[in-house]
Amino acid sequence: MAKELLKGNVAFAEAAVRNGLQAYFGYPITPQSEALEHLSKRMLELDRVFLQAESEVAAINMVYGAACTGVRVMTSTSGPGFSLMTEGLSYIAGSEVPVVVVNMMRGGPGLGNIQPAQADYALMVHTVGHGDFHAIVLAPANIQELIDMVGLAFDLAEKYRTVVYIAGDGSLGQMMESAELPPMKPLPTERPAWATIGAKDREPNAITSLFLGAEPLEAWNLHLQKKLAQIKENEVRWQEYQTEDADLLMVAYGTVGRICTSVMREARKQGLRVGLLRPQTLWPFPAARLNELAGQVRGILVSEMSAGQMLADVERAVAGKCPVAFHGRLGGVFPMVDELLAELKKLDQEVSK
Amino acid sequence: MSRKASEYRSHVKPIWCPGCGDYAVLNALTRAFASLELRNENIMVASGIGCSSRFPAFLKTYGIHGVHGRPLPLATGIKLGNPSLTVVAVGGDGDGFSIGGGHIPHAARRNIDLPYIVMDNNIYGMTKGQPSPTSPRGLQRKASPYGSQERPLNPILMTLAYGTTFVARAFSGQPKQMADIFRQALLHPGFAFVQVLSPCITFHNTYDHYREICRPLPEGHNAQDLQAAMTAALETETQYLGIFYRDDQQLPYSRRLQLLRDRAPKLTLETVLDRFRR
Ligand SMILES: Cc1ncc(C[n+]2csc(CCOP(=O)(O)OP(=O)(O)O)c2C)c(N)n1
Ligand code: SF4
Repeated sequence: MAKELLKGNVAFAEAAVRNGLQAYFGYPITPQSEALEHLSKRMLELDRVFLQAESEVAAINMVYGAACTGVRVMTSTSGPGFSLMTEGLSYIAGSEVPVVVVNMMRGGPGLGNIQPAQADYALMVHTVGHGDFHAIVLAPANIQELIDMVGLAFDLAEKYRTVVYIAGDGSLGQMMESAELPPMKPLPTERPAWATIGAKDREPNAITSLFLGAEPLEAWNLHLQKKLAQIKENEVRWQEYQTEDADLLMVAYGTVGRICTSVMREARKQGLRVGLLRPQTLWPFPAARLNELAGQVRGILVSEMSAGQMLADVERAVAGKCPVAFHGRLGGVFPMVDELLAELKKLDQEVSK
Repeated sequence: MSRKASEYRSHVKPIWCPGCGDYAVLNALTRAFASLELRNENIMVASGIGCSSRFPAFLKTYGIHGVHGRPLPLATGIKLGNPSLTVVAVGGDGDGFSIGGGHIPHAARRNIDLPYIVMDNNIYGMTKGQPSPTSPRGLQRKASPYGSQERPLNPILMTLAYGTTFVARAFSGQPKQMADIFRQALLHPGFAFVQVLSPCITFHNTYDHYREICRPLPEGHNAQDLQAAMTAALETETQYLGIFYRDDQQLPYSRRLQLLRDRAPKLTLETVLDRFRR
């Protein structure tokens, strides 16, 4: 496959098609609607399911229903739509059906704007809605990684029968970049045994999140927690840049992670030994590795397009081993290279005192 | 008339595309406000999200740009919070009939005393032209390259069936009649639904189509006759304009709530203590 110039929203939609997406339900919202539009064409020409729902509440419940039948299913949205989906997502998580959701985050709270943001972190990473659960949250930093993470998302969703989010932002959805799409995979010929495919010669399956008694529900929760523990054990992903000799560390994900690679290069030119840890999974969070690095460096700078939501996870992982500084921009503004450079210098001076 | 429509316009210039049907709605509503000599500070307009929902910004009245699909619950809260306000809910067809469709029957059921104006352009304007619940079947757009498959809703028939006590249709090509309908809707003591055929010139230009098929309601149409209203609503080849149905005799919700409050036993220290003594 050759590289092509692709818009982020079209890229992840087409990547899903090629990874065997069988059904898509969605509702238009900027900055993500191109995915819905692309799929309205592609899914039908490939004899698959596409439906523009009447709302995100409807879309996520259609996704829930389709997932119960054992097909590969996905939806995509942005902030306000994601808020509406949390109700369905909690049920989906509680009844253990695999679902992939892409959220191209925009500025909030409320209607906010359609500029890129990372302020849905807490909503996506710390919960799936009401109840105790975590989705696996993948955080791509460029369009190639976005494409690759779509395949990963489906694999993880099905392996663990869980919810997987792709946490992008408006700029990732809207920008164009040269990237390579995967080859077209054949659709699976069989549906999973747990799905609603008829109970001939076997016991009927029950797909539910309803357990009326306290003890049975606790047992179910313990089962879910065991699964989450396994995910935590096996699926933490991150990328490190020049951490070997680093004595200052930046931590950032997605688009800001990408900006920080430029910051790091510039800082090194100016004589600062800076490294970068870019979480690729926000849940599970690369806490153990971060804790190790916190023992190596003199200080850490966290940057997000939010008021500091990942910051709490970083601080927990660092556990006081070194100072943690933060620089965030809000409302759809990118942190710029020179701003971050200035913050790094400030941190350098503070920890040198 | 001692008040002018322009006195209800804010300094914010509408950002609608030139030729958008929503300009006519803005003009007609401000004319209706003026004809009733409403005080600016006694009006509050609540909207959802969409091009049409930018509406409150262009008015020199109280206003709130709310949540996509939720102008009705929002307006209900405003009206009950301050019943002395003239509250108007506005929005688009996607906002009102798609994501917010579940709220209309309940506003009607309660007969909440406010007009709800839906600027129906049969398309999602703000998100750049996906089909809406009132798009004609077969409409080919970016999100429906092979033609939309759903049947369009019939908002007039639907709201009549919900028991709405005032149901009317206007067209942006006929602003005078629209202003008069709005005036009547504002005077109606209860929930008043007005569907405005308000073309989106950019993504679904229906001006010519509606000019061709819009007619006044049949001569002698009796707006007290629900069946006649439904029969007229069922006609879709012709789009009738005017007040289909009107029943001013039903109590509006804020009035019902007041009567309920009057009837509820009043709490005194004695009556509260009594509950524990028993
Ligand atoms: C929960 C949520 N989902 C989606 C959107 C994106 N969105 C904004 S306006 C709109 C629809 C606009 O269509 P309509 O209500 O018909 O109004 P118009 O723009 O045509 O006037 C949508 C889907 C949103 N703001 N919030
Ligand atoms: S896109 Fe359509 S609905 Fe929106 S302002 Fe332009 S003409 Fe009006």
